[in-house]
Amino acid sequence: MFGRLFIRECRQTARSLIYWLVVLVLIFDFTTQLGSTEIAEKPKKGQKEYGLKLSDDENLIMEATLGSLIEEYSRESYRTYPIGFYKNVTLNEKEDKRIGEIIKETTGISGREEAEKAVDDWYGAKREASGGEAAVMMTGVEIKPVKGLSYERFEKLMDEVDDILGGGSDYAESERGAAVPMTYEDAVEEYRELTEKDRLTGGYARLFSDYMVLFLGILPVFLAVTRSLRDRRAGMQELIYTRKGSSAVIITSRYFAILTMVVIPVLALSLIPLSQCLKYSSAAGISVDMLAYVKYIFGWLLPTIMIVTAVGMFFTELTDTALAVLVQGAWWFVSVFTGARGIGGGVYGWNLIPRHNTAFNWKGYQEGFSQLVSNRIFYGSLAVILIAFTVFIYSQKRKGRYRLSWKGIGRLKKQI
Amino acid sequence: MSTTIEIRNLNQYYGKKQALKDVSLTIETGMFGLLGRNGAGKTTLMKVLATLLPKSEGEVSVCGNNVERAQEVRRITGYLPQEFSMYPNMTVYEAMDYLGVLSGLGKEERKQRIPELLKRVNLQYDKRKRVKALSGGMKRRLGIAQAILHNPEVLIVDEPTAGLDPEERVRFRNLLCEIAEERIVILSTHIVGDIEATCEKIAVLDKGEIIYKGTVSELIQMAEGKVFQAEISKRELEELKKQYVVTSMLTLGNNVMVRFLAEEEPFKSAKPCEAGVEDAYMYLMQGRGGGNGCLDGCL
Repeated sequence: MFGRLFIRECRQTARSLIYWLVVLVLIFDFTTQLGSTEIAEKPKKGQKEYGLKLSDDENLIMEATLGSLIEEYSRESYRTYPIGFYKNVTLNEKEDKRIGEIIKETTGISGREEAEKAVDDWYGAKREASGGEAAVMMTGVEIKPVKGLSYERFEKLMDEVDDILGGGSDYAESERGAAVPMTYEDAVEEYRELTEKDRLTGGYARLFSDYMVLFLGILPVFLAVTRSLRDRRAGMQELIYTRKGSSAVIITSRYFAILTMVVIPVLALSLIPLSQCLKYSSAAGISVDMLAYVKYIFGWLLPTIMIVTAVGMFFTELTDTALAVLVQGAWWFVSVFTGARGIGGGVYGWNLIPRHNTAFNWKGYQEGFSQLVSNRIFYGSLAVILIAFTVFIYSQKRKGRYRLSWKGIGRLKKQI
Repeated sequence: MSTTIEIRNLNQYYGKKQALKDVSLTIETGMFGLLGRNGAGKTTLMKVLATLLPKSEGEVSVCGNNVERAQEVRRITGYLPQEFSMYPNMTVYEAMDYLGVLSGLGKEERKQRIPELLKRVNLQYDKRKRVKALSGGMKRRLGIAQAILHNPEVLIVDEPTAGLDPEERVRFRNLLCEIAEERIVILSTHIVGDIEATCEKIAVLDKGEIIYKGTVSELIQMAEGKVFQAEISKRELEELKKQYVVTSMLTLGNNVMVRFLAEEEPFKSAKPCEAGVEDAYMYLMQGRGGGNGCLDGCL
């Protein structure tokens, strides 16, 4: 029965207007974000620049972090992301004084005037280095630490700065870093990783997944909600409830139909960058991984589609309303902003929407791989649990044993 | 295997409100009518039988299957709810096919049964029509077709003729009678005419209680000698309505021909007449808050 029902559910989804709107949004996402992506060329010697890379040199990290601190101190305004959202922090007199003391201890610069002068001097030196023309700032302000400042002391003080700012600042342990310009050798190594380790398609499949997961973190909920509400709107609930088919078969056939119908356009869209990679690889003599996009779609994107669809079905069966759209909307919003900090990849955490907004950074991907796998398994498992609960609720509704009473909730609220 | 529905001491509660009070019934093959006013508890009883509501107290079995074994009962039961529709964008055939799959019918079985049933309910030429384009009567006929799609032993039909025009109503009743030749059909209605035209055995439900169970002819016998007819002036009508239950009225110029219930001959010009189901039902209901007035079908 499952197979026959699954096919009919797929047909129903394909006939719904919401589905085609979802497909249109995915196409829009793809064309605006990835439509003009060009495959990276092999770096050539003598290029003006090769991009930036993160350095693990403690001195460089101290210079970049202290430079940023002094610049923000001179502006009297600090940028933080306490729960993933941007927040501008202004300090009171006592906190401002303590930041000044930390700057003095770490850089020897005393007071706001000296800090402003240090920042101006740095920009002036950059302009001079570029012959008086508008300089291209590859990195932020860099200020050398005082002699004898140990990295341990620096870390302790920066933790204190982050605490003063309320967390989520550039001085937090996870955010401290220094971006340095890449050399030709660095660029060649990065290109080698892309073409040999990632076999070209691996890197571009990650970039594709990065753009797609943004929208797949919300869109399937609309399909799940409309499917679950359709029976009630069509006056068909009781006709279905009294059928022999089990609740597990009914719910899972709907669930898998939505997953399938969402994955199909994503797979279709992936053929475009795949064909670009194939075209480039045949000219450059690179052996590509033909299945890379399929692997990333099922490994990276499917768990997100699964959990978003499960949230949609669970809350709709639970409440008989479109509440799931609000729940998922809020979750998506927080995930997008939280994920923005790890946009370059390698830092996946437990975010619903893991980011990796570059075809490069294979090393970062390797370092974060086990976390990414845990993340994806967690959301896939959570989706299975939610669907099991949805089956239970549905079976209780069929027997008349569960019905959410909004009047009862209203009365309860009044009593509270 | 048992071919009856057995209901023993069924009580049903919605919170503190008791919707069914100690209901006991045995329903055998053929048409069975369940008559009662709106809110009498008919739909609640139908829903318990269709496994859509868990019973609060008592024993209910459908052809030997306890209603608590929902899947078994669903396998042998067809249900047409009072208010229903189908996915509006599906064609008649697709809707039947979808529900057939949910009933566990195989491809061949569906291929054979669906055209057969559509023909039986006179929708064979509308199978490609979208559900949203069907009239009320056509939808009801499609409803019956979907309810017997899996060839159930029991068909439960809740208020099926409400909102149908007279022609569709007659067609629908005939269809139910045909179907009842081979299975139990429970027809729940507040329209006495539907029961009169289709059922031999009935039960009357009022305020959750069974106040009558037996045959239609036995019910009519209860009202024999209690039904009178008289031509009175319009001025006298109000006074008559205060004293007797009027089952029908027909205006004749300045006079009115009234049919009413009385325990003995009320006045000389009143002539005794043969009781009908409607008279018998009103006789049964008088004194139970049934009020003086007309049922559906009153002239």
